[in-house]
Amino acid sequence: MTNDSDSSFCEMWQQGSGEPPRFSPEELQRTIKRRNLREYVAAALVLAVFAYYSWIFPALLLRIGCGLIIAGTGYVIYQLHRRASARPAPADMGFQSCVNFQRSELVRQRDALRGVWSWYLLPFLPGLVVFLLGLFQFTMQVTKAAGRPFPIGPAILGYTLVAGCIGIIFFVIWLMNRKAAKNLQAQIDDLDRLTRDSR
Amino acid sequence: MASREDLYQEAVRTHGAALNRIARAYELNPDKRRDLLQDIHMALWRSLESFDGRCSLRTWLYRVGHNVATSHVVIDRRASSRQLLSIDQIDITDPKSDVEESAGRNLAVDRLMTLIHELRPLDRQLVMLFLEGVDAAAIGEITGISAGNVATRIHRIKRILTTRFQGGARS
Repeated sequence: MTNDSDSSFCEMWQQGSGEPPRFSPEELQRTIKRRNLREYVAAALVLAVFAYYSWIFPALLLRIGCGLIIAGTGYVIYQLHRRASARPAPADMGFQSCVNFQRSELVRQRDALRGVWSWYLLPFLPGLVVFLLGLFQFTMQVTKAAGRPFPIGPAILGYTLVAGCIGIIFFVIWLMNRKAAKNLQAQIDDLDRLTRDSR
Repeated sequence: MASREDLYQEAVRTHGAALNRIARAYELNPDKRRDLLQDIHMALWRSLESFDGRCSLRTWLYRVGHNVATSHVVIDRRASSRQLLSIDQIDITDPKSDVEESAGRNLAVDRLMTLIHELRPLDRQLVMLFLEGVDAAAIGEITGISAGNVATRIHRIKRILTTRFQGGARS
């Protein structure tokens, strides 16, 4: 292995990558502003759609349930943005070595996945419970108003099954996120081993 | 001290192609790659406000470029669930690679890019910085790994490159 072969590899790598696209500083500033605006518009749209559905529901409990789901969704969107999204690159990024920066990014993602129960699943729970109770009450009222009997036992069983299915979905989401967090922890351990060996 | 705009123009003039290669090495999809490259340029533009000359502009630029690209890989769930390899796990005598196969330079670069995409971010950084002609001390400064550790890993990188890509590099 000579320096000649080193330079021939470098030459091979550096040649033929083509003319890189150019970005003017003004274009970059415009893009930053456009991206921020896009995020706010998307959040406003989601909330507007849920608010509309909350308005058209006929029963009070259904409306309250929907309102709680809206609040939960808003909270989850905020937490997703804060914990797990690609955040704007910090201005001091050039001071951070690649190992330090990568570790901090992995830790941020791992913590977001580990705490998924508290910030991603739990905020939906009150809304879902109230919504299901509202649906139960509304179905009972409509059935009775139509002069038909309302079989309480089978109805409770049916709603329990629906709640059970939601519980299973929540459990699977939690399990998948825990597995992903373990995978990230392994990568953090690798980096720590590497920096320990470097000392 | 030069203005942020002057520094940015200087960085792009001297290392714009290197930033392009970073984006290529971290993202295969052409549309996402252009977005990643734009993210790198945005981060560089923002970061140059804090540049105080404590390290060279080249070191600063490589740190920003690789850090943004690494963040892209960590965020991308698809990439996160894919098992990425370390340099130590790469088989030096890969049976798929014969010299004839890597005879064409373009083909060799494509295959090299494929190999880089299989690597974990830190090993990607080492391979790419080596291929950009950055010396071991500067690689240590950019990545945060000791010069000795960098030297050991670069030795292995050279063995892999020599075994797999010698033909392509010569053609």
